[in-house]
Amino acid sequence: MDDNLFEKLRILSDAAKYDVSCVSSGVERKNNSVGGIGNASAAGICHAWSSDGRCISLLKILLTNDCIYDCKYCLNRVTNPVKRASFTPEEVAELTIQFYRRNYIEGLFLSSAVEKSPDYTMENIYRTLELLRYKYNFWGYVHVKVIPGANSLLVQKAGMLADRMSVNIELPTKASLHLLAPQKKAENILQPMSLIHNEISRAIEDKSHFKNAERFVPGGQSTQMIIGATPDSDRTILNVSQNLYDKYRMKRVFFSAYIPVASSPNLPAVSTMPPLVREHRLYQADWLMRFYYFNSEELFTEIEPNLDLEFDPKMMYALRHLDKFPIEINKASYEELLRIPGLGVTSAQRIIRERKNAELSYDSLKKMKTVLKRAKYFMTVKGKYYGNTKFDPDSIKNEIRMKEIQKQISIFEFQGWGTHP
Amino acid sequence: MNYLYDGTFEGLMTAVYYHYKKEKADGIYELNSYQQSIVFQSEVVNTDISKAKTVSDAINKLISREAYIHIYYCHLSNAIDKENIILDFLIFAFKYGRNTMNFYTHEKVLPINEIYKKVAREEHRILGILRFSDIGGILYAKYSPDNDVSILLAEHFADRYKYEKFIIYDEKRKKTVIYSDNNWEIKENINIDNIEFSANEKRIHNLWKQYFTDLAIEERKNLNLQFQFVPARYRKDMTEFK
Repeated sequence: MDDNLFEKLRILSDAAKYDVSCVSSGVERKNNSVGGIGNASAAGICHAWSSDGRCISLLKILLTNDCIYDCKYCLNRVTNPVKRASFTPEEVAELTIQFYRRNYIEGLFLSSAVEKSPDYTMENIYRTLELLRYKYNFWGYVHVKVIPGANSLLVQKAGMLADRMSVNIELPTKASLHLLAPQKKAENILQPMSLIHNEISRAIEDKSHFKNAERFVPGGQSTQMIIGATPDSDRTILNVSQNLYDKYRMKRVFFSAYIPVASSPNLPAVSTMPPLVREHRLYQADWLMRFYYFNSEELFTEIEPNLDLEFDPKMMYALRHLDKFPIEINKASYEELLRIPGLGVTSAQRIIRERKNAELSYDSLKKMKTVLKRAKYFMTVKGKYYGNTKFDPDSIKNEIRMKEIQKQISIFEFQGWGTHP
Repeated sequence: MNYLYDGTFEGLMTAVYYHYKKEKADGIYELNSYQQSIVFQSEVVNTDISKAKTVSDAINKLISREAYIHIYYCHLSNAIDKENIILDFLIFAFKYGRNTMNFYTHEKVLPINEIYKKVAREEHRILGILRFSDIGGILYAKYSPDNDVSILLAEHFADRYKYEKFIIYDEKRKKTVIYSDNNWEIKENINIDNIEFSANEKRIHNLWKQYFTDLAIEERKNLNLQFQFVPARYRKDMTEFK
């Protein structure tokens, strides 16, 4: 390792840090290879938390920031005078191993700008994977980006060695993509997505017939889009997400609040703050779609295409459908329990389990550490309502607002920014 | 009767055995920290692997595997009076059998659940934040956990670093996991002084520190959140905070 490694690492981690996904979950693998190092844990492991409170699970770097494209929202666009650097595949592999041996990381997340051509870049990504898996015998987690426009054979070869792959959809609509990244074609993004989806399905099918079937991206594929760089509404964004989940069986769709890095007539002013609360609301909505049986359309009304910034989307849903509440804790089905604002998957499961023995009381909910500060307005326990307010949207909102002010809770103290499954 | 045991899980299980087969226990305490009582008689329990196994098997079979794991984790915790929390739980659980764990909030069950959760949470956290350094080819990690989780870490790292040699040192308990060639063992009462790192090792530490610092996004700075995830007490052993 020579000394300009520090310089390269600085440039290429700085350029990668805005990438959201850092998840290492979804793959369970023992270290079964003779002389091998590494395994993967299905739940994922976070290794460090940087001063912005984000989890660091994988070594997240770019192979190069030397880009031929000129996407308006990107720091590495060809017309931006930033310092350029490129790692060799050997350097990335060596760094990954050395960090992994010291338990700094769970594996590698390799992304890249497009250097010379999509094929040239994808080839280097593949070579890094090949070195790690075969030369270093590394069986920790590896996530690689797919470069749109690269030869599909390369994508396929990489998929046999990676745990997760992702193709960035970048922006929610074709029109936005055309406006800000005119050199990127929507077809070039969707084509590898569909290839990965088909190969994953095939690998799963093969596995049910042959014991030693080839594996293909066992951790599934994900994608990410930038929020707030274009005027697309939350409804558009979530409908696109729903589509991606349905059509390509995406494991995750990540949202990244746009941090102004350039001035352009097509972009928000450089002084604009990144829309962090909006990003948080979108993640909550995304969660509702994946684990709470919500459909994206249920989260909006005909007149309002954006999520509320003051209250979370489940709460807003409940306030618009008060006729379906309050829900009796001792009678409701699992799905109904999940509709109660503030009540999560763990609590719902615990309620179902515990009430098999005896009817639940308000006190036993508290003992279970169920968070009731929002839930209590939308439920009854043994027929009794504990909300202590009039049962209409404005009264409930006001009551919660007052409690919030008393507690001085900052809305920024949320968890789970790209950290959980 | 107060039973005094040696602090091991097998010792604790032997004491439970005596409670059922010999004389009812008023309490179970660790021998080293026991204060003589005027009211209760006490007896030192000789740890007996086969008696311990009888109790462990009964827990697994008559209550559940889940209950067994919960008890095991509780025993590793730093909770005051954990032995009697476990004993009370077992007396309740042997009555209710397989249905026991559904009484999540029952006064005999809730403490077990809460202590289990604490230990499991620390275990998971340490899997991420334990930091090794390469000392002449051996990986060495030092830490001071709240609970005695070393034995829980051993399996994980023995698989991950199967062809390496490693040492995990619990500075608080003077307890060490030593691994090489597919075997790990735990040694107690060991003192390891501060270790000097080679120039190359310091370079890698610095690469990591630089990466760790650079990765933070200034616009999203949130030190409170960082403290929630990595409480101050763990930081003295973490490369990136040194």
